[in-house]
Amino acid sequence: MNAIETEDLHIYYGKNHVIKGVNLEIPEKSVFAIMGPSGCGKSTLLRSLNRLLELNEDAKIKGDIRLFGKSVFDMDPIIVRREIGMVFQHPNPFPHMSIFDNVALGLKLNKLVKSKNELKKIVKWALEKSALWDEVKDKLHEPASALSGGQMQRLCIARAIALKPKVLLMDEPTANLDPVSARKIEELIFELKKDLTIVIVTHSPAQAARVSDYVAFLYLGKLIEVGKTEDIFENPKEELTEKYLTGRMG
Amino acid sequence: MVRMDKFKTFLAPFCGLVFGLFILMLIVYLTASLPIFEREGLAIYTTNVWKASENPQKEFYGVLAAIYGSIYTSVLAVLIALPLSISFAVFVIDYAPKRLKEPLMVATDIMAGLPTIIYGIWGAFVLVPILKEYVMMPLYEHFSFIPLFSFRPVTGYSYLSAGVLLGIMVTPFASAIIREAYRSIPYIYREGVYALGATRYEATKILLGYIKPAIVAGILLAFGRAIGETVAVSLVIGNVFNINPSLFAPGYTISSLIANQFGNAYIYKYMVPALFAAGLSLFIIGLIVNLAGLMYLRRFKYAR
Amino acid sequence: MLVRKIKDKLFIVGIATLTFLTILPLFHIVFSVAVEGLPVLLKGGWNFITGTLAPPDDGLGGIGPAIVGTFVLTFLASLLGLPIAILTGIYAAEYPNSLLGKATKTLLMIMMEFPTILVGLFVMQILVVPMGSYSALAGALALAIVMMPYVAVYTEEALRGIPKKYREGAFALGLTRFNVVFRVLIGLARKGILTGVLIGIAKVAGETAPLLFTAGGATRTYFEGINRPVGAIPLLIYDLVQQPYKNYHEIAWGASLLLLIIFLAIFLPIRLSLKEVKL
Repeated sequence: MNAIETEDLHIYYGKNHVIKGVNLEIPEKSVFAIMGPSGCGKSTLLRSLNRLLELNEDAKIKGDIRLFGKSVFDMDPIIVRREIGMVFQHPNPFPHMSIFDNVALGLKLNKLVKSKNELKKIVKWALEKSALWDEVKDKLHEPASALSGGQMQRLCIARAIALKPKVLLMDEPTANLDPVSARKIEELIFELKKDLTIVIVTHSPAQAARVSDYVAFLYLGKLIEVGKTEDIFENPKEELTEKYLTGRMG
Repeated sequence: MVRMDKFKTFLAPFCGLVFGLFILMLIVYLTASLPIFEREGLAIYTTNVWKASENPQKEFYGVLAAIYGSIYTSVLAVLIALPLSISFAVFVIDYAPKRLKEPLMVATDIMAGLPTIIYGIWGAFVLVPILKEYVMMPLYEHFSFIPLFSFRPVTGYSYLSAGVLLGIMVTPFASAIIREAYRSIPYIYREGVYALGATRYEATKILLGYIKPAIVAGILLAFGRAIGETVAVSLVIGNVFNINPSLFAPGYTISSLIANQFGNAYIYKYMVPALFAAGLSLFIIGLIVNLAGLMYLRRFKYAR
Repeated sequence: MLVRKIKDKLFIVGIATLTFLTILPLFHIVFSVAVEGLPVLLKGGWNFITGTLAPPDDGLGGIGPAIVGTFVLTFLASLLGLPIAILTGIYAAEYPNSLLGKATKTLLMIMMEFPTILVGLFVMQILVVPMGSYSALAGALALAIVMMPYVAVYTEEALRGIPKKYREGAFALGLTRFNVVFRVLIGLARKGILTGVLIGIAKVAGETAPLLFTAGGATRTYFEGINRPVGAIPLLIYDLVQQPYKNYHEIAWGASLLLLIIFLAIFLPIRLSLKEVKL
């Protein structure tokens, strides 16, 4: 089954047509990479999937997005965002909250836990899942701002998966991290895809090749090519894709 | 070779002049109030007496009522300003229709700069009668057993009138500080909280937590403004030496005491020092509150 | 879920209502001042602008001395305060990390919040008492002290907002620091500095408290010299409101409308040409 499908998706910012008729099918429990040069619209596309784009008043969406067969536009955006977690390019745990509270936030807001004990258990589970538990278990109540960039990003992953979403969106999650931290995140992606579907946006073809099962190449708002990662990388059908993969395009 | 920075030596005296003025001001307040401290000690601040007399032997002054009134009215002002200024800042940045945002901000900026005497005349001739008729009388008639409402509002000039007027005056000021802080929250935090499935109410609550130091700063600086305000308050407070818990009772504030009494104070031997002592207390309260406010603001700006 | 939705709706309605309540007084004030003041201006006519104060219970007369006084005081205060304020602002901008620079910035922020009545009392003690009389000079000095921090802070911020490349470019030409600042940077920052000057002027033109014990007030004589008392519109309103006479209250409303117009005439163009002002 497909976790997410988009059908003839168009996105406009005011008069700018930034996503032009994109059709995607993202299979369940896979890692799906969206790659392309900066400014191609990949972050915009990603933000439309959990309806986060609607925070921006100028953005208009046409076409359909389906989550496990059901149109997200027929769902409450709050539910959509609960079922589709997201991790951003800049690690953004709330600096005024403790590590524990950051992970617990989504659970509390959505009233997903009934007791303090249950909350503690899920927070621990999420931190373990995101390979952060050992590093923070003794300072759960210190502010999140005390963590390193890589730790913050894993905290954001913990915060997202604590809600047990079916899909996790990752917007260039390693772009602002050092190589060691970046590798930890990539290893985490392998772990996480056992339980959920991951859609990751990256400007680095190398990263897409390393982590993804499927890859889509987006250029100037258009979907140029999509398919199994090894097929695309070994045998691209479009000239543009080949140019991009061989580094002859920005 | 050490090169003298001529430019620096040319400019420094002007900074020195500003500092000099400020220090001179402090010295003037200390020396001018000295006679009353020598005569009464701290009783000038701890008693509520106002005995003016041609005979210096019989003079005695205690400005406790004014200090009480200043704090009472400023606290009221801040209690009014807090919900208004936060709501305004949040609404205008996040939720107001686009076309309304700029006009709303212009309106509050006008309010922040409006000559205070205009608030004063409106307060005395328009606001006080409205408050007396529609707020004080009904509350007094039905709830006078509550100490807060126990004073019969005869004229309407009262702590409440001054507090409400001050609240209206300082709200735009507090709101400007909170607004700028709220606007400065990086977009990634907004996205982050909505991505967790928060409603607008929940998201706002969390984002307000993020700018808490700026809110504290806004409130402290608003308190500082309120406590220093003079003419508007002195036209609605009633100017009576009074220490009363009731909102509807008339009273004094430090600044309105000075405004009212200083004109004829030179006739008496100790009234001028007494008023300078009152001014000194305002000087110090204002300095502490404003410094604390600026500190919180700086903490917010540089910590993030 | 329903509870959260309802809370959300209530929240939006709530803050919209409170926003409305925040600005409601402005409309009520402008409306009241216009309704009460306009008939006075119309009835008083030209004489209201140029004439002198009427006796109690006897017509409107005019507020000429107060208008003249406000202009004289604002002009003198600018003369006294602007050069010092701008130079102080330059220092704070040029030497932001020096001890004096940092201290100056903090002092200016404190002075911005300083109760203005205390400035008036201070000037009374150092100038009015020794001179033996209220005077335009004393009033102007008090206003200059009130004005300085605004102008200095705006100057400092305008100078610091200039991109580094201009500063480096100017130094690269071999100019002295004096010339870099006065020939190049001041020119680039002129809009910000001018804004500060105008905000300062708008502020002091409406100030009452610093004038209470300095300018003295004059209602029947125009400007007679800087060592003599002068009137001012805000001061006149303050005095008249406290009088028991009906015609004095009318004059106060008329004067308020005039003051409001003067304020808006200075303030609105600045505000509309900028995104943000500090008051």
